[in-house]
Amino acid sequence: MRKANRRPFCSALAIYSTLALTSMAALGPTLWVMLSSFKTTPQIFSGSGLLPAPVTGQGYIDAFTQIRLHEYLLNTFIYATGGTIGALSLAVLTAYPLARYKFRGRNQLVAIISLALALPVVGLAVPEFFIMRALGLFDTKIGMVIFFSAQLFPLSFVILRSFLLSLPTDLEEAALIDGAGYFRIVFHIVIPLCRPALATAAVVAFVIIWNDFFFANLLTASQENQSVQVALAGFKSQFRFNVTGALAGATIVMLVPIAVFLGLQRHVIAGLTAGSSK
Amino acid sequence: MRLQIGLSLVPGLLLFFTFFIVPLAVLVVTAFSDWSGTDFRFTGVQNFHRMAVDDVFWKAVRNTLFYSMIGVGIQMPLGILVGVILSQKIPGWRVFRAIIFIPWVISGAAFALVFSMFYNPRFGLLNDLVAVVGLGGRHDWLFDTSTAPWAIGGTFAFVIGFTMIVVMAEIAGIPKELYEAARCDGASGWKQHRYITLPLLRNAIGTCVLIRLLTDIGLFDVVYILTSGGPDDSTATLALYAYRAYLNGEWGFANAVGATILLIGLVLIIGVSRVFRIGERAQ
Repeated sequence: MRKANRRPFCSALAIYSTLALTSMAALGPTLWVMLSSFKTTPQIFSGSGLLPAPVTGQGYIDAFTQIRLHEYLLNTFIYATGGTIGALSLAVLTAYPLARYKFRGRNQLVAIISLALALPVVGLAVPEFFIMRALGLFDTKIGMVIFFSAQLFPLSFVILRSFLLSLPTDLEEAALIDGAGYFRIVFHIVIPLCRPALATAAVVAFVIIWNDFFFANLLTASQENQSVQVALAGFKSQFRFNVTGALAGATIVMLVPIAVFLGLQRHVIAGLTAGSSK
Repeated sequence: MRLQIGLSLVPGLLLFFTFFIVPLAVLVVTAFSDWSGTDFRFTGVQNFHRMAVDDVFWKAVRNTLFYSMIGVGIQMPLGILVGVILSQKIPGWRVFRAIIFIPWVISGAAFALVFSMFYNPRFGLLNDLVAVVGLGGRHDWLFDTSTAPWAIGGTFAFVIGFTMIVVMAEIAGIPKELYEAARCDGASGWKQHRYITLPLLRNAIGTCVLIRLLTDIGLFDVVYILTSGGPDDSTATLALYAYRAYLNGEWGFANAVGATILLIGLVLIIGVSRVFRIGERAQ
């Protein structure tokens, strides 16, 4: 009896210590920085104490008054929202015919778009810069929205198309018999039916654009168009004169996608598994 | 109907063409040239030759391999282990899933800031932790060629959320009867996982390995912000090597490196898919 009880206890102990250690390794440094954003500058530089003592919100005040974080946050919000809407609208219009109608070159087209999803796009840095400049889109807000729409197009396309393939066609056929036109079917039947897949793709696209540093850094130059991630990278040099402001800023920037994830976990998880299995 | 289908396809395909196909064509052509954005001159394979004899390029290749080893050797097994554990739906599994996934939604730039604090020689938490274990001395982790690559690897070694989620989704699809049958035959919990779960995860693990390797090929943000590839190029990656050439105005050379990155990516996609037979259903 005793022996039988000891084994499950030991394995439970092993399991929970693995989980606890992994959680600490995964999130420990981030939590420490988030806590530090409530510390005073002298406490941070002395490296004393894990918890803030005294607790101060000065870093958060500085983040908005001195660093002007809200201006960068607004830029990133415009890019993430605009890019997501752009990518999704175009992806649904493209995915529908490529999921429903047979025509020459269809499979090749689907394969090429799916391949673009997997390619390491940093390799295309210079040509992207060149094209953005040639189109007069370099260092403009609208340019960034268009660029991110294009970047997230393959992912949205793959998620939407695989969802459409799993959908029965009865409703569309019924509408066709009733004499509804192509775009009427797309807007009144297909898009409402795609709502779950659209939500999933939207959440994942928003987080990816929000977190992008590489292209935001490459394709903007002036401060007024800078994304908050690029500003964050600059904060590293701010350590010398306003460390609490920089940490408070970083905390806010991290909390946005964390909140999106915690609030919409189901969609994020569905999006990752849909995007990866195709 | 044909007209409408065409109208519906055009905007998306136009965007795709402009930002994927055209850049790809520009890349392939200019990789064989001396190009600064204005002056253009074909130079054959000269860029590739220069790359092959440059020590920094090979350092970047070695570092990229090193990061891939951390990705596939630490991140991947840990992600699979946690995914398998949490799939048992033990008490608290939702909480652990959320905590362990969170780092995946944090940006590279924010992570770089977090770790520049964490590794800081003067007030970083890592030195305090090391002191607790009894290995005193304040170490400057990012400015020592022997610790810097590990310090960079440490920023993503525990970002296991993606693998965990994919593994959990795959396990959810395994019929329960398989485990019941194994139990009836007297297989222990460990044996059930070794002979049922792992083989059925082949597809999912292959996908995770592929995505991890593709991420490592393009690794940039954390390295650029934390060390700019230093000290002595001990942390430089291929993406950073290409970016430096771009900053120098050597666009042709940068594109030769970019083409190399894409080519490695393509080889990985084909190779890893073959090895793990991704796409074929598990038997």
